[in-house]
Amino acid sequence: MDLVDFVQSITDGLLFGATYALIGIGFTMIFGVMHKINLAYAATSIAGAYVSWAVGTLLPLPALVTFVVAAIGGGIVGYLVYLCCFKFIPVTSPLATLLGTVGMLILIDEIIVHETNGMPQPYPALFDDVYFEIGEFYGIRGDLLFIFFLSLIATAILLYILYRTKLGIATRAVAQQPVAAQLCGISIERTNASTFVITGLLGGLAGAMIGASVGVLSPLLTLPITIKGLIVTVIGGLGSIPGAIIAGLLVGAFENFFQALRGVTERDMYVMLLLFAFLTFRPGGIFSKTTSRD
Amino acid sequence: MLEVNDIVTAYGKIEALKGVDLAVSQGQVTCLLGPNGAGKTTLMMTIAGILRPKRGSIRFNGQDIAGKPARMIVEQGIVLVPENRLVFRDMTVEENLMAGAFSRSDGKTVQSDLEAMYERFPHLQERSTQYAGTLSGGEQQMLAISRALMARPRLLLMDEPSLGLAPLIVEDIFRIIRELNDEGMTVFVVEQNARMALQVADHFYLIEQGKVVFDGTPGEMEEDEVIKRAYLGKKI
Repeated sequence: MDLVDFVQSITDGLLFGATYALIGIGFTMIFGVMHKINLAYAATSIAGAYVSWAVGTLLPLPALVTFVVAAIGGGIVGYLVYLCCFKFIPVTSPLATLLGTVGMLILIDEIIVHETNGMPQPYPALFDDVYFEIGEFYGIRGDLLFIFFLSLIATAILLYILYRTKLGIATRAVAQQPVAAQLCGISIERTNASTFVITGLLGGLAGAMIGASVGVLSPLLTLPITIKGLIVTVIGGLGSIPGAIIAGLLVGAFENFFQALRGVTERDMYVMLLLFAFLTFRPGGIFSKTTSRD
Repeated sequence: MLEVNDIVTAYGKIEALKGVDLAVSQGQVTCLLGPNGAGKTTLMMTIAGILRPKRGSIRFNGQDIAGKPARMIVEQGIVLVPENRLVFRDMTVEENLMAGAFSRSDGKTVQSDLEAMYERFPHLQERSTQYAGTLSGGEQQMLAISRALMARPRLLLMDEPSLGLAPLIVEDIFRIIRELNDEGMTVFVVEQNARMALQVADHFYLIEQGKVVFDGTPGEMEEDEVIKRAYLGKKI
Protein backbone atom coordinates (compact mmCIF):
# COMPACT_ATOMS: atom_id res chain seq x y z
CA MET A 1 0.00 0.00 0.00
CA ASP A 2 1.43 3.33 -0.98
CA LEU A 3 0.81 6.78 0.38
CA VAL A 4 -1.87 7.62 -2.18
CA ASP A 5 -4.00 4.63 -1.26
CA PHE A 6 -3.43 5.33 2.40
CA VAL A 7 -4.62 8.94 2.22
CA GLN A 8 -7.43 8.10 -0.16
CA SER A 9 -8.88 5.30 1.95
CA ILE A 10 -8.81 7.39 5.09
CA THR A 11 -10.45 10.35 3.34
CA ASP A 12 -13.25 8.19 1.95
CA GLY A 13 -13.68 6.55 5.34
CA LEU A 14 -13.88 9.88 7.14
CA LEU A 15 -16.60 11.05 4.77
CA PHE A 16 -18.59 7.83 5.11
CA GLY A 17 -18.00 7.96 8.85
CA ALA A 18 -20.44 10.87 8.96
CA THR A 19 -23.26 8.32 8.72
CA TYR A 20 -21.84 6.41 11.68
CA ALA A 21 -21.65 9.70 13.55
CA LEU A 22 -25.38 10.29 13.00
CA ILE A 23 -26.23 6.75 14.12
CA GLY A 24 -23.97 7.18 17.14
CA ILE A 25 -25.66 10.49 18.03
CA GLY A 26 -29.02 8.70 17.96
CA PHE A 27 -27.90 5.91 20.27
CA THR A 28 -26.18 8.34 22.61
CA MET A 29 -29.10 10.79 22.78
CA ILE A 30 -31.60 8.10 23.69
CA PHE A 31 -29.18 6.82 26.31
CA GLY A 32 -28.59 10.35 27.59
CA VAL A 33 -32.27 11.12 28.02
CA MET A 34 -33.63 7.76 29.15
CA HIS A 35 -30.51 5.94 30.40
CA LYS A 36 -31.59 3.05 28.24
CA ILE A 37 -30.16 1.45 25.13
CA ASN A 38 -32.45 1.26 22.12
CA LEU A 39 -31.07 -1.67 20.14
CA ALA A 40 -33.71 -1.14 17.45
CA TYR A 41 -32.23 2.25 16.57
CA ALA A 42 -30.11 1.20 13.58
CA ALA A 43 -33.04 -0.89 12.33
CA THR A 44 -35.16 2.28 12.61
CA SER A 45 -32.64 4.04 10.47
CA ILE A 46 -32.62 1.35 7.75
CA ALA A 47 -36.43 1.16 7.99
CA GLY A 48 -36.60 4.88 7.28
CA ALA A 49 -34.50 4.36 4.15
CA TYR A 50 -36.77 1.50 3.11
CA VAL A 51 -39.84 3.71 3.59
CA SER A 52 -38.37 6.20 1.13
CA TRP A 53 -37.48 3.35 -1.24
CA ALA A 54 -41.06 2.04 -1.05
CA VAL A 55 -42.50 5.50 -1.69
CA GLY A 56 -40.04 5.84 -4.56
CA THR A 57 -41.32 2.66 -6.24
CA LEU A 58 -44.87 4.04 -6.16
CA LEU A 59 -44.07 7.46 -7.50
CA PRO A 60 -40.69 8.55 -8.76
CA LEU A 61 -39.04 10.98 -6.38
CA PRO A 62 -36.16 13.36 -6.99
CA ALA A 63 -33.16 11.99 -5.10
CA LEU A 64 -33.11 14.89 -2.65
CA VAL A 65 -36.78 14.32 -1.72
CA THR A 66 -35.94 10.65 -1.11
CA PHE A 67 -33.66 11.76 1.73
CA VAL A 68 -36.42 13.87 3.27
CA VAL A 69 -38.93 11.00 3.01
CA ALA A 70 -36.38 8.67 4.63
CA ALA A 71 -35.95 11.08 7.54
CA ILE A 72 -39.71 11.35 8.05
CA GLY A 73 -40.04 7.56 7.79
CA GLY A 74 -37.33 7.18 10.42
CA GLY A 75 -39.13 9.65 12.68
CA ILE A 76 -42.38 7.67 12.43
CA VAL A 77 -40.69 4.30 13.01
CA GLY A 78 -38.76 5.84 15.91
CA TYR A 79 -42.01 6.91 17.53
CA LEU A 80 -43.49 3.43 16.99
CA VAL A 81 -40.46 1.89 18.69
CA TYR A 82 -41.03 4.26 21.61
CA LEU A 83 -44.68 3.24 21.84
CA CYS A 84 -43.98 -0.49 21.64
CA CYS A 85 -40.84 -0.79 23.74
CA PHE A 86 -40.72 2.13 26.17
CA LYS A 87 -43.90 4.07 26.83
CA PHE A 88 -45.84 1.43 28.73
CA ILE A 89 -42.95 -0.43 30.33
CA PRO A 90 -41.99 0.84 33.80
CA VAL A 91 -38.60 2.50 34.10
CA THR A 92 -37.70 0.05 36.84
CA SER A 93 -37.44 -2.87 34.41
CA PRO A 94 -34.54 -1.97 32.11
CA LEU A 95 -34.15 -5.54 30.84
CA ALA A 96 -37.70 -5.56 29.54
CA THR A 97 -37.10 -2.50 27.36
CA LEU A 98 -33.74 -3.83 26.21
CA LEU A 99 -35.21 -7.14 25.09
CA GLY A 100 -38.20 -5.30 23.65
CA THR A 101 -35.86 -3.38 21.37
CA VAL A 102 -34.08 -6.59 20.36
CA GLY A 103 -37.48 -7.95 19.36
CA MET A 104 -38.19 -4.77 17.46
CA LEU A 105 -34.86 -5.07 15.63
CA ILE A 106 -35.74 -8.60 14.51
CA LEU A 107 -39.30 -7.60 13.62
CA ILE A 108 -38.18 -4.69 11.43
CA ASP A 109 -35.61 -6.94 9.78
CA GLU A 110 -38.22 -9.62 9.09
CA ILE A 111 -40.71 -7.11 7.65
CA ILE A 112 -38.01 -5.85 5.27
CA VAL A 113 -37.01 -9.39 4.23
CA HIS A 114 -40.66 -10.32 3.73
CA GLU A 115 -41.51 -7.27 1.65
CA THR A 116 -38.44 -7.42 -0.58
CA ASN A 117 -38.07 -11.22 -0.73
CA GLY A 118 -34.69 -10.71 0.86
CA MET A 119 -33.31 -9.14 -2.30
CA PRO A 120 -31.16 -6.00 -2.09
CA GLN A 121 -32.92 -3.00 -3.63
CA PRO A 122 -31.26 -0.24 -5.64
CA TYR A 123 -31.11 3.09 -3.89
CA PRO A 124 -30.54 6.38 -5.68
CA ALA A 125 -27.27 8.16 -5.05
CA LEU A 126 -26.75 11.87 -5.38
CA PHE A 127 -23.75 13.39 -7.14
CA ASP A 128 -22.27 9.96 -7.76
CA ASP A 129 -21.15 11.22 -11.19
CA VAL A 130 -19.18 14.00 -9.59
CA TYR A 131 -15.53 13.49 -8.78
CA PHE A 132 -13.25 16.21 -7.53
CA GLU A 133 -9.67 15.66 -8.54
CA ILE A 134 -7.11 16.99 -6.18
CA GLY A 135 -3.63 17.09 -7.63
CA GLU A 136 -2.43 14.25 -9.78
CA PHE A 137 -3.40 11.26 -7.64
CA TYR A 138 -6.06 12.24 -5.16
CA GLY A 139 -9.78 12.76 -5.48
CA ILE A 140 -13.01 13.02 -3.55
CA ARG A 141 -16.20 11.20 -4.46
CA GLY A 142 -19.09 13.62 -4.94
CA ASP A 143 -21.65 11.34 -3.31
CA LEU A 144 -19.52 10.90 -0.19
CA LEU A 145 -18.87 14.63 0.00
CA PHE A 146 -22.61 15.22 -0.28
CA ILE A 147 -23.54 12.87 2.57
CA PHE A 148 -20.77 14.39 4.64
CA PHE A 149 -22.18 17.88 4.25
CA LEU A 150 -25.71 16.63 4.73
CA SER A 151 -24.78 15.11 8.08
CA LEU A 152 -22.94 18.30 9.04
CA ILE A 153 -26.13 20.27 8.39
CA ALA A 154 -28.26 17.71 10.25
CA THR A 155 -25.90 17.83 13.23
CA ALA A 156 -25.91 21.63 13.20
CA ILE A 157 -29.73 21.67 13.23
CA LEU A 158 -29.76 19.13 16.06
CA LEU A 159 -27.32 21.17 18.15
CA TYR A 160 -29.39 24.28 17.47
CA ILE A 161 -32.50 22.51 18.74
CA LEU A 162 -30.68 21.18 21.80
CA TYR A 163 -28.99 24.42 22.82
CA ARG A 164 -31.21 27.20 21.52
CA THR A 165 -34.81 26.06 21.90
CA LYS A 166 -37.22 25.30 24.70
CA LEU A 167 -37.49 21.70 23.50
CA GLY A 168 -33.70 21.45 23.80
CA ILE A 169 -33.68 22.82 27.34
CA ALA A 170 -36.38 20.29 28.27
CA THR A 171 -34.43 17.44 26.67
CA ARG A 172 -31.21 18.30 28.47
CA ALA A 173 -33.05 18.94 31.73
CA VAL A 174 -34.62 15.48 31.64
CA ALA A 175 -31.26 13.93 30.78
CA GLN A 176 -29.46 15.61 33.68
CA GLN A 177 -32.00 15.64 36.46
CA PRO A 178 -35.37 14.01 35.74
CA VAL A 179 -36.96 14.88 39.09
CA ALA A 180 -36.05 18.56 38.87
CA ALA A 181 -37.19 18.60 35.24
CA GLN A 182 -40.64 17.43 36.34
CA LEU A 183 -40.65 20.09 39.06
CA CYS A 184 -40.11 22.67 36.30
CA GLY A 185 -43.28 21.43 34.64
CA ILE A 186 -41.47 19.39 31.98
CA SER A 187 -43.23 16.17 31.02
CA ILE A 188 -40.78 13.27 30.95
CA GLU A 189 -43.06 11.20 28.71
CA ARG A 190 -43.34 13.93 26.09
CA THR A 191 -39.62 14.58 26.20
CA ASN A 192 -38.88 10.88 25.76
CA ALA A 193 -41.28 10.71 22.83
CA SER A 194 -39.81 13.78 21.16
CA THR A 195 -36.32 12.34 21.62
CA PHE A 196 -37.37 9.19 19.75
CA VAL A 197 -38.87 11.25 16.95
CA ILE A 198 -35.82 13.51 16.64
CA THR A 199 -33.35 10.62 16.72
CA GLY A 200 -35.62 8.76 14.29
CA LEU A 201 -35.43 11.67 11.85
CA LEU A 202 -31.64 11.65 12.13
CA GLY A 203 -31.58 7.87 11.77
CA GLY A 204 -33.76 7.86 8.67
CA LEU A 205 -31.46 10.41 7.12
CA ALA A 206 -28.43 8.31 8.03
CA GLY A 207 -30.13 5.24 6.55
CA ALA A 208 -30.69 7.07 3.28
CA MET A 209 -27.07 8.20 3.30
CA ILE A 210 -25.90 4.63 3.80
CA GLY A 211 -28.19 3.40 1.03
CA ALA A 212 -27.00 6.15 -1.28
CA SER A 213 -23.31 5.58 -0.72
CA VAL A 214 -23.54 1.79 -0.91
CA GLY A 215 -25.94 2.00 -3.85
CA VAL A 216 -28.32 -0.64 -2.51
CA LEU A 217 -30.48 -1.25 0.53
CA SER A 218 -30.36 -4.66 2.10
CA PRO A 219 -31.78 -6.15 5.28
CA LEU A 220 -28.26 -7.40 5.90
CA LEU A 221 -27.34 -3.82 6.79
CA THR A 222 -29.23 -3.58 10.07
CA LEU A 223 -27.08 -5.79 12.26
CA PRO A 224 -23.67 -4.41 11.18
CA ILE A 225 -24.97 -0.85 11.51
CA THR A 226 -26.35 -1.64 14.96
CA ILE A 227 -22.96 -2.96 16.01
CA LYS A 228 -21.06 -0.04 14.44
CA GLY A 229 -23.47 2.40 16.07
CA LEU A 230 -22.93 0.83 19.49
CA ILE A 231 -19.17 0.81 18.98
CA VAL A 232 -19.28 4.50 18.04
CA THR A 233 -21.39 5.24 21.11
CA VAL A 234 -19.03 3.43 23.46
CA ILE A 235 -15.89 4.92 21.92
CA GLY A 236 -17.41 8.39 22.00
CA GLY A 237 -18.55 8.00 25.60
CA LEU A 238 -22.14 7.10 26.45
CA GLY A 239 -24.32 10.18 26.37
CA SER A 240 -21.77 12.46 24.68
CA ILE A 241 -22.81 13.97 21.35
CA PRO A 242 -19.40 15.46 20.46
CA GLY A 243 -17.95 12.07 21.35
CA ALA A 244 -20.33 10.31 18.95
CA ILE A 245 -19.40 12.67 16.13
CA ILE A 246 -15.66 12.21 16.55
CA ALA A 247 -15.96 8.47 17.17
CA GLY A 248 -18.18 8.10 14.08
CA LEU A 249 -15.58 9.73 11.86
CA LEU A 250 -12.81 7.78 13.56
CA VAL A 251 -14.52 4.41 13.08
CA GLY A 252 -15.35 5.28 9.46
CA ALA A 253 -11.74 6.17 8.67
CA PHE A 254 -10.36 3.23 10.64
CA GLU A 255 -12.61 0.68 8.97
CA ASN A 256 -11.97 1.99 5.46
CA PHE A 257 -8.24 2.03 6.02
CA PHE A 258 -8.21 -1.60 7.11
CA GLN A 259 -10.52 -2.50 4.26
CA ALA A 260 -7.95 -1.09 1.86
CA LEU A 261 -5.11 -2.74 3.75
CA ARG A 262 -6.55 -6.18 4.57
CA GLY A 263 -9.70 -6.50 2.50
CA VAL A 264 -13.39 -6.33 3.29
CA THR A 265 -13.52 -9.71 5.02
CA GLU A 266 -11.06 -8.71 7.73
CA ARG A 267 -12.22 -5.12 8.10
CA ASP A 268 -14.68 -5.52 10.96
CA MET A 269 -12.17 -7.51 12.98
CA TYR A 270 -10.02 -4.41 13.30
CA VAL A 271 -12.96 -2.26 14.28
CA MET A 272 -13.66 -4.75 17.06
CA LEU A 273 -10.01 -4.51 18.10
CA LEU A 274 -10.37 -0.73 18.23
CA LEU A 275 -13.36 -1.17 20.54
CA PHE A 276 -11.35 -3.63 22.62
CA ALA A 277 -8.51 -1.13 22.92
CA PHE A 278 -10.90 1.57 24.07
CA LEU A 279 -12.64 -0.69 26.57
CA THR A 280 -9.27 -1.59 28.02
CA PHE A 281 -7.49 1.74 28.07
CA ARG A 282 -10.29 4.28 28.08
CA PRO A 283 -13.51 2.53 29.07
CA GLY A 284 -15.41 5.80 29.48
CA GLY A 285 -14.81 6.69 25.84
CA ILE A 286 -13.21 9.78 24.33
CA PHE A 287 -15.43 12.15 26.29
CA SER A 288 -15.95 10.23 29.46
CA LYS A 289 -18.15 12.07 31.91
CA THR A 290 -16.42 12.80 35.15
CA THR A 291 -19.45 14.18 36.95
CA SER A 292 -21.94 11.76 38.37
CA ARG A 293 -25.67 12.32 38.61
CA ASP A 294 -26.98 13.34 41.97
CA MET B 1 -55.20 27.54 50.18
CA LEU B 2 -53.77 24.04 50.41
CA GLU B 3 -55.54 21.30 52.33
CA VAL B 4 -53.98 17.89 52.74
CA ASN B 5 -56.43 15.25 53.95
CA ASP B 6 -55.54 11.75 55.10
CA ILE B 7 -52.73 11.37 52.59
CA VAL B 8 -51.08 7.94 52.48
CA THR B 9 -47.99 7.52 50.31
CA ALA B 10 -46.14 4.22 50.17
CA TYR B 11 -42.87 2.94 48.76
CA GLY B 12 -43.91 -0.56 47.81
CA LYS B 13 -45.54 -1.92 50.94
CA ILE B 14 -43.92 0.50 53.35
CA GLU B 15 -46.13 3.46 54.11
CA ALA B 16 -44.05 6.61 54.56
CA LEU B 17 -47.10 8.79 55.13
CA LYS B 18 -49.82 7.18 57.22
CA GLY B 19 -52.66 9.62 56.83
CA VAL B 20 -51.32 13.16 56.97
CA ASP B 21 -53.70 16.08 57.55
CA LEU B 22 -52.54 19.66 57.36
CA ALA B 23 -53.41 23.00 55.81
CA VAL B 24 -51.47 25.96 54.45
CA SER B 25 -53.16 29.35 54.62
CA GLN B 26 -52.78 31.96 51.93
CA GLY B 27 -50.16 34.61 52.62
CA GLN B 28 -48.55 32.69 55.47
CA VAL B 29 -45.27 30.89 55.96
CA THR B 30 -46.04 27.39 57.18
CA CYS B 31 -43.23 25.26 58.50
CA LEU B 32 -43.02 21.49 58.69
CA LEU B 33 -40.67 20.07 61.31
CA GLY B 34 -39.72 16.48 61.89
CA PRO B 35 -36.84 14.06 62.35
CA ASN B 36 -35.09 12.25 59.49
CA GLY B 37 -37.30 9.62 57.93
CA ALA B 38 -40.51 11.14 59.27
CA GLY B 39 -41.87 11.60 55.75
CA LYS B 40 -41.27 15.33 55.20
CA THR B 41 -39.70 14.93 51.76
CA THR B 42 -42.26 12.26 50.83
CA LEU B 43 -45.05 14.71 51.64
CA MET B 44 -43.43 17.46 49.54
CA MET B 45 -42.90 15.07 46.63
CA THR B 46 -46.51 13.91 46.91
CA ILE B 47 -47.89 17.45 46.84
CA ALA B 48 -45.61 18.30 43.88
CA GLY B 49 -46.87 15.30 41.92
CA ILE B 50 -43.61 13.34 41.78
CA LEU B 51 -45.02 10.61 44.03
CA ARG B 52 -48.59 9.33 43.80
CA PRO B 53 -50.50 8.95 47.06
CA LYS B 54 -52.25 5.65 47.73
CA ARG B 55 -55.24 7.48 49.12
CA GLY B 56 -56.34 10.82 50.48
CA SER B 57 -56.92 14.19 48.88
CA ILE B 58 -54.89 17.32 48.32
CA ARG B 59 -57.02 20.35 47.60
CA PHE B 60 -55.50 23.50 46.18
CA ASN B 61 -57.94 26.42 46.07
CA GLY B 62 -60.75 23.89 46.17
CA GLN B 63 -59.47 21.63 43.38
CA ASP B 64 -58.29 18.11 44.10
CA ILE B 65 -54.76 17.74 42.75
CA ALA B 66 -53.75 14.47 44.43
CA GLY B 67 -52.10 12.10 41.98
CA LYS B 68 -52.02 14.61 39.11
CA PRO B 69 -48.78 14.69 37.10
CA ALA B 70 -46.14 17.19 38.21
CA ARG B 71 -46.56 19.21 35.02
CA MET B 72 -50.19 20.00 35.82
CA ILE B 73 -49.39 20.89 39.41
CA VAL B 74 -46.75 23.37 38.27
CA GLU B 75 -49.32 24.86 35.92
CA GLN B 76 -51.72 25.16 38.86
CA GLY B 77 -49.13 27.30 40.64
CA ILE B 78 -47.47 24.95 43.12
CA VAL B 79 -43.69 24.76 42.69
CA LEU B 80 -41.23 22.83 44.82
CA VAL B 81 -37.61 23.75 45.56
CA PRO B 82 -36.36 20.20 46.07
CA GLU B 83 -34.10 18.87 48.78
CA ASN B 84 -30.43 18.99 47.74
CA ARG B 85 -31.32 21.70 45.22
CA LEU B 86 -31.13 19.43 42.16
CA VAL B 87 -29.88 22.12 39.80
CA PHE B 88 -29.12 21.10 36.22
CA ARG B 89 -25.36 20.87 36.68
CA ASP B 90 -24.35 20.81 33.02
CA MET B 91 -26.57 23.70 32.06
CA THR B 92 -25.71 27.37 32.53
CA VAL B 93 -27.32 29.44 35.27
CA GLU B 94 -29.47 31.19 32.70
CA GLU B 95 -30.56 27.91 31.11
CA ASN B 96 -31.55 26.64 34.56
CA LEU B 97 -33.73 29.70 35.01
CA MET B 98 -35.26 29.29 31.56
CA ALA B 99 -36.01 25.65 32.37
CA GLY B 100 -37.86 26.94 35.44
CA ALA B 101 -40.06 29.02 33.15
CA PHE B 102 -40.83 26.01 30.93
CA SER B 103 -44.52 25.93 31.82
CA ARG B 104 -45.00 29.55 30.71
CA SER B 105 -45.60 30.68 27.17
CA ASP B 106 -45.39 34.47 27.60
CA GLY B 107 -41.89 35.16 26.30
CA LYS B 108 -41.78 38.86 27.18
CA THR B 109 -42.73 38.54 30.83
CA VAL B 110 -40.35 35.59 31.18
CA GLN B 111 -37.56 37.89 30.03
CA SER B 112 -38.53 40.59 32.55
CA ASP B 113 -38.81 37.97 35.30
CA LEU B 114 -35.32 36.80 34.42
CA GLU B 115 -34.04 40.34 34.92
CA ALA B 116 -35.99 40.64 38.19
CA MET B 117 -34.37 37.40 39.35
CA TYR B 118 -30.90 38.75 38.56
CA GLU B 119 -31.76 41.87 40.53
CA ARG B 120 -32.79 39.82 43.54
CA PHE B 121 -29.78 37.49 43.23
CA PRO B 122 -26.88 39.58 41.83
CA HIS B 123 -24.54 36.59 42.27
CA LEU B 124 -26.51 34.68 39.67
CA GLN B 125 -26.17 37.48 37.15
CA GLU B 126 -22.39 37.46 37.57
CA ARG B 127 -22.42 33.73 36.87
CA SER B 128 -25.21 33.63 34.29
CA THR B 129 -23.10 31.86 31.65
CA GLN B 130 -21.37 29.52 34.11
CA TYR B 131 -22.41 25.91 34.51
CA ALA B 132 -24.63 25.44 37.53
CA GLY B 133 -22.42 22.55 38.71
CA THR B 134 -19.55 25.01 39.28
CA LEU B 135 -21.53 27.13 41.74
CA SER B 136 -21.09 26.90 45.51
CA GLY B 137 -23.75 25.20 47.60
CA GLY B 138 -25.30 28.50 48.66
CA GLU B 139 -25.36 29.81 45.12
CA GLN B 140 -26.95 26.57 43.92
CA GLN B 141 -29.66 26.98 46.55
CA MET B 142 -30.30 30.54 45.36
CA LEU B 143 -30.45 29.21 41.81
CA ALA B 144 -32.90 26.48 42.82
CA ILE B 145 -35.12 29.04 44.53
CA SER B 146 -35.04 31.45 41.61
CA ARG B 147 -35.62 28.59 39.15
CA ALA B 148 -38.79 27.77 41.08
CA LEU B 149 -39.81 31.45 41.14
CA MET B 150 -39.46 31.60 37.35
CA ALA B 151 -42.59 29.46 37.15
CA ARG B 152 -44.49 32.24 38.97
CA PRO B 153 -45.79 30.02 41.76
CA ARG B 154 -48.73 30.94 43.96
CA LEU B 155 -47.54 28.45 46.56
CA LEU B 156 -43.82 27.89 46.99
CA LEU B 157 -42.79 24.59 48.57
CA MET B 158 -39.25 24.39 49.95
CA ASP B 159 -37.66 21.18 51.13
CA GLU B 160 -34.88 21.89 53.64
CA PRO B 161 -33.42 24.95 51.92
CA SER B 162 -30.77 25.34 54.63
CA LEU B 163 -29.44 21.78 54.39
CA GLY B 164 -25.64 21.68 54.45
CA LEU B 165 -25.15 25.42 54.11
CA ALA B 166 -23.05 27.83 56.14
CA PRO B 167 -24.89 29.83 58.86
CA LEU B 168 -24.50 33.14 57.00
CA ILE B 169 -26.08 31.67 53.88
CA VAL B 170 -28.85 30.10 55.93
CA GLU B 171 -29.65 33.57 57.23
CA ASP B 172 -29.69 34.84 53.66
CA ILE B 173 -32.17 32.17 52.68
CA PHE B 174 -34.49 32.99 55.53
CA ARG B 175 -34.24 36.67 54.67
CA ILE B 176 -35.36 35.75 51.15
CA ILE B 177 -38.25 33.67 52.49
CA ARG B 178 -39.35 36.65 54.55
CA GLU B 179 -39.02 39.01 51.57
CA LEU B 180 -41.04 36.70 49.36
CA ASN B 181 -43.70 36.39 52.03
CA ASP B 182 -43.83 40.17 52.47
CA GLU B 183 -44.47 40.42 48.73
CA GLY B 184 -47.45 38.12 49.18
CA MET B 185 -46.02 34.68 48.44
CA THR B 186 -47.43 31.74 50.36
CA VAL B 187 -44.60 29.47 51.49
CA PHE B 188 -44.63 25.93 52.87
CA VAL B 189 -41.16 25.04 54.08
CA VAL B 190 -39.63 21.88 55.52
CA GLU B 191 -36.95 22.82 58.01
CA GLN B 192 -34.84 21.05 60.59
CA ASN B 193 -33.53 24.32 61.93
CA ALA B 194 -36.49 25.17 64.16
CA ARG B 195 -34.77 28.18 65.67
CA MET B 196 -34.40 29.85 62.27
CA ALA B 197 -37.88 28.80 61.25
CA LEU B 198 -39.34 30.52 64.33
CA GLN B 199 -38.23 33.84 62.85
CA VAL B 200 -40.35 33.52 59.72
CA ALA B 201 -43.10 30.95 60.21
CA ASP B 202 -46.70 31.77 61.05
CA HIS B 203 -47.70 28.19 61.66
CA PHE B 204 -45.93 24.96 62.57
CA TYR B 205 -46.56 21.30 61.99
CA LEU B 206 -44.51 18.49 63.45
CA ILE B 207 -44.53 15.18 61.66
CA GLU B 208 -43.25 11.92 63.13
CA GLN B 209 -43.33 8.48 61.53
CA GLY B 210 -45.73 9.56 58.83
CA LYS B 211 -48.24 11.33 61.05
CA VAL B 212 -48.78 14.91 62.15
CA VAL B 213 -48.22 15.04 65.91
CA PHE B 214 -48.24 18.78 66.54
CA ASP B 215 -50.10 21.64 64.94
CA GLY B 216 -49.86 25.16 66.28
CA THR B 217 -48.58 28.72 66.20
CA PRO B 218 -44.98 29.64 67.03
CA GLY B 219 -46.14 30.67 70.50
CA GLU B 220 -47.77 27.32 71.15
CA MET B 221 -44.70 25.58 69.85
CA GLU B 222 -42.42 27.32 72.28
CA GLU B 223 -44.72 26.18 75.07
CA ASP B 224 -44.63 22.54 74.03
CA GLU B 225 -42.23 20.66 76.28
CA VAL B 226 -41.37 17.91 73.80
CA ILE B 227 -40.64 20.27 70.93
CA LYS B 228 -38.70 22.53 73.23
CA ARG B 229 -36.43 19.69 74.21
CA ALA B 230 -36.03 18.03 70.83
CA TYR B 231 -36.02 20.99 68.44
CA LEU B 232 -35.18 24.14 70.32
CA GLY B 233 -32.62 22.65 72.68
CA LYS B 234 -33.97 24.44 75.74
CA LYS B 235 -33.50 22.92 79.14
CA ILE B 236 -36.71 22.18 80.96
